[in-house]
Amino acid sequence: MKKLSFLFSCLVLFLSGCSMRVFNPISETARDQSFLILFSFFLMMIVLVVVFVMFARFMWKYRETEENKHTIPEDEEGNKAFELTWTILPIILLIVLAVPTVRMTYDMSAEVTSNPANAVHIEVTAQQFSWTFTYEGGVQTINNVTLPKDRPVVFHLNSKDVIHSFWIPRLGGKRDVMPGENRRLIVTPEETGTYQGKCAEFCGVDHAKMRFTTEVKSQQAYQQWLNEEKKEME
Amino acid sequence: MIADLFGRKFYMASDTIGAWVMLTLTAILGIILITRAKKWPIIREYATTTHHRKIGVLYLLSATLFFMRAGIEALIIRIQLAFPDNNFWVFQGEKFNEAFTTHGTIMIFFVAMPLLIGLMNVAVPLQIGAQDMAFPYLNAVSFWLFLAGALLVNMSFFMTASPNAGWTLYAPLSTDTYTPSAGNDYYIFGIQVSGIGTILAAINMIVTIVRHRAPGMTLMKMPLFPWSTLITSFLILIAFPVLTIALYILMFDRFFGTSFFSGPEGDPIYWQHLFWIFGHPEVYIIILPAFGIFSDIISTFSKKRVFGYGSMVVALAIIGLLGFMVWVHHMFTVGLGALVNTFFAVTTMLIAVPTGIKIFNWLFTMRKGVIRFSTPMLFAAGFIPTFVMGGVTGVMLSAAAADLQYHDTYFVVAHFHYVIIGGTVLGAFAGIYYWFPKMFGITLNETLGKLHFWLFLIGFHITFFPQHFAGLNGMPRRVYTYTAEDNVFVFNFVSTLGAFLMGIGTAVFVWNIYKSFKKPQKAGDDPWNGRTLEWSVPSPAPEHPFENTPQVVSHDPVWEAKLHRDGELPKASESRTAPIDVVSWQPVMLGSLMLFFSLAFIYHVTWLQVTLGIAVLGFFVVRALTDEHTKKAKEDQAHDNV
Amino acid sequence: MTTYNQDLQGDKKLGFVLYLVGELVMFATLFATFFIFVQDAIDPTPTEVFEARTVIISSVFLLSSSGTIHFAEKAAEIQNRKGIAIWLAATVLLGLAFMGVEIHEFRTYYHEGFTLTQNIFLSSFYILVGLHAAHVLFGIGWMLLLAIQLNSIPSSIYGDKQKIFSYYWHFVDVIWIFIIVFVYAPYLI
Repeated sequence: MKKLSFLFSCLVLFLSGCSMRVFNPISETARDQSFLILFSFFLMMIVLVVVFVMFARFMWKYRETEENKHTIPEDEEGNKAFELTWTILPIILLIVLAVPTVRMTYDMSAEVTSNPANAVHIEVTAQQFSWTFTYEGGVQTINNVTLPKDRPVVFHLNSKDVIHSFWIPRLGGKRDVMPGENRRLIVTPEETGTYQGKCAEFCGVDHAKMRFTTEVKSQQAYQQWLNEEKKEME
Repeated sequence: MIADLFGRKFYMASDTIGAWVMLTLTAILGIILITRAKKWPIIREYATTTHHRKIGVLYLLSATLFFMRAGIEALIIRIQLAFPDNNFWVFQGEKFNEAFTTHGTIMIFFVAMPLLIGLMNVAVPLQIGAQDMAFPYLNAVSFWLFLAGALLVNMSFFMTASPNAGWTLYAPLSTDTYTPSAGNDYYIFGIQVSGIGTILAAINMIVTIVRHRAPGMTLMKMPLFPWSTLITSFLILIAFPVLTIALYILMFDRFFGTSFFSGPEGDPIYWQHLFWIFGHPEVYIIILPAFGIFSDIISTFSKKRVFGYGSMVVALAIIGLLGFMVWVHHMFTVGLGALVNTFFAVTTMLIAVPTGIKIFNWLFTMRKGVIRFSTPMLFAAGFIPTFVMGGVTGVMLSAAAADLQYHDTYFVVAHFHYVIIGGTVLGAFAGIYYWFPKMFGITLNETLGKLHFWLFLIGFHITFFPQHFAGLNGMPRRVYTYTAEDNVFVFNFVSTLGAFLMGIGTAVFVWNIYKSFKKPQKAGDDPWNGRTLEWSVPSPAPEHPFENTPQVVSHDPVWEAKLHRDGELPKASESRTAPIDVVSWQPVMLGSLMLFFSLAFIYHVTWLQVTLGIAVLGFFVVRALTDEHTKKAKEDQAHDNV
Repeated sequence: MTTYNQDLQGDKKLGFVLYLVGELVMFATLFATFFIFVQDAIDPTPTEVFEARTVIISSVFLLSSSGTIHFAEKAAEIQNRKGIAIWLAATVLLGLAFMGVEIHEFRTYYHEGFTLTQNIFLSSFYILVGLHAAHVLFGIGWMLLLAIQLNSIPSSIYGDKQKIFSYYWHFVDVIWIFIIVFVYAPYLI
């Protein structure tokens, strides 16, 4: 019972949002992922509650006491109907989970979507232990990426040395960055602000420090920023 | 401090110096204590034994020692992460990376595996009515090879070169270009040597279970621990050779200049495939035996046979099979394409079905029973809710699209600690308390056992529950620090507190063992009112446990005999030849040879490689010329000629 | 008749077969590695490297040794020590001949510049075929050990020891057939 109340308080923590980055999406991708996480969580809570209730009940009801100490319980081999129930019900539950999983996994695979028309293309080069971002016109920034709001961004990911993983939690799930290969990640930021970005794949001594900031600006401000950067280059 | 050895420089940080001092002092103290207590004959007895119970004890003892080492590493990791921007001792950057790498490696290969293999050694032959393992000598070889590998990985720290690329050893980080120090060489050789031992142990288990069961014990009358052992052994036999070859190839990359996993031609993803084709079955290798232990314990302490025995066996087999079809769920972020990812997402979800069947069968074993909460049962009871929590996060992780958010974060760390500690470690503790009488003839103290359980379990949940939230708030795993803005301080701080509670719990366990030997409480042959054959032989189990081979007529034969035959097992009319036990220094010698042979490779000393290589081959010659079967046949022949 | 027991021998046979299953998985992994890296091999390609002549000669030696060890086994069954000695010697010689040709082959490749580190195709070729060669070498040593014991241990137990060895030797042969079919043949025909 103690565990149950503990769990319940955690659930409340969950529902209140409590500023978990993963649950504060700023793109459609991240929103979908956040939905899938919560959806699977509630499905699984059904299982958890059923098991916990049964567990607590059986533990309590059938515990050894002075009266039943010498009782020998009736022999019971199994029960086909019960066993079928807890085979079939989980399968149904999993189908319910599998459908959105398959759909969203397809949606999120950059390989199946071609580059959107008005997209901003950014080359991302990872190396131990920094991120270099190259925008159109050769503008480069290090450990800081600036994005326009409401325009699809295509990140072209590349690594100079080992495997890294490109992750902006509030913008959506991560993508591994492989040496010698080009990977794409397509997202559309929907809110201006400053967000954290990280390397999520262990990559050596200072993996923990391989971080970057993401600034999402209005399209106008983005263009202005880009132009200034270009001017500075010249 | 700098030392020069093998033409390499060794820079010693304060932690390494401290460890050397500790090691030396412990060794001296140990030698003094053993000499004063006149215990050398016992050391000798265990070093030369081929008896399954003693080898099982050796496995458990070394696993406990390594558990403490890797546990201390866990505490160090937790202290470093307790506060944002913390600088604890030397554990930032390289040292921290080494700490979590060896923590993971040791916990998986040198704690989880030997705990379970140790319990198998102690219990499985007795449970199926065998006189010993099928190959006692090979059994000793397996153990000493395991220990040689374990010592290699453990000594790397003392040689100032711990493995530092994570226990998954992802290439190209693990190639000599990016991690040139000897650390990952220690990993390669340590795991290789102990892996060979593990494969041999698995073969031994299969032959024992297939050919040494008591008459009448059909496979479907076999208790579930031997069943899970059998399936696990097949998983080992198929999965470990893949690791052997993966390490073999990586060895060529690191030592002989090939570039399988790096460079313009090489393929780092191929390493990931090889590693996880081994690595995922490995997860089931360390969980299935625990399932077996829990099945037997829950049944014994509920005074009821296992509910749905048939479906339990089928579920074990299906989990084993599916275990080979889910490895890509460790690689969802690699970008293998939507089709591959969804396929593996669905197979992963499927595993929840047989696992769920087992959970409900356990629950219904308890239903209508009479549940006695002795320490082994407490661990089994703690296992069910804990493991289910780890199981449901497992299903959540299998949703590939969502996994892109969880992958490589503390959410995953929380998940696998829930299943591995909640399953394997609790299972091993349960098994140790349960079969301790069969190992030493005494029971562990119940009060301390219960204290151990509650401290460990509560500490466990305090440690790992908050880590789910740290992960969801964007904390990647394997980082040695975080900032205040990350908003993960509270989760980490609570987690650190819990880790210390677990540490105290483990200390109580060790204290319990010490206490129980100091003031031994003699256990009878059958302290738990058991149901299976091991409770029909004396405690501790003697060399030749079954004087008369029992004829097994039902599932839970000892229970059946108690109910219907006044506790007398029916005797079999025929019995098979028992395996031949020997006393031999050869296995421990082979282990040492392999240890030094590996060191010769790690430090590139060619003449030593050649010499020791010949010595290892020479071992085969010695073995072939001195084996006990030939000796026995010769004696028999001489006898016949008289 | 000795009282040496069939039970224990059966254990050994099953155990050794299981060991070979493990070995099979190892070789399968190495074959997979070869298949993956042979695809885009350039400089050199397999066709540029392999020579049919040596492969055929070495195959003749190794495959016929499977026959000779079979005859040695037959001889052991009727406890014909002389027969065992002859057929075992023949197997050792064939094994040595195979090793000779293989070493010659590797040397030729090496002198042509096709070394272990030239490209990954060659790396995966050498680690696969090299591991097989190591097995043959180990087998030759094993046979010498059997030869030493032939006259000094009871014949029934000798027969059992040789039987286990012949499992091993047939296994090594089967792997060689796979090597011919999957490694050499596609680039020689």
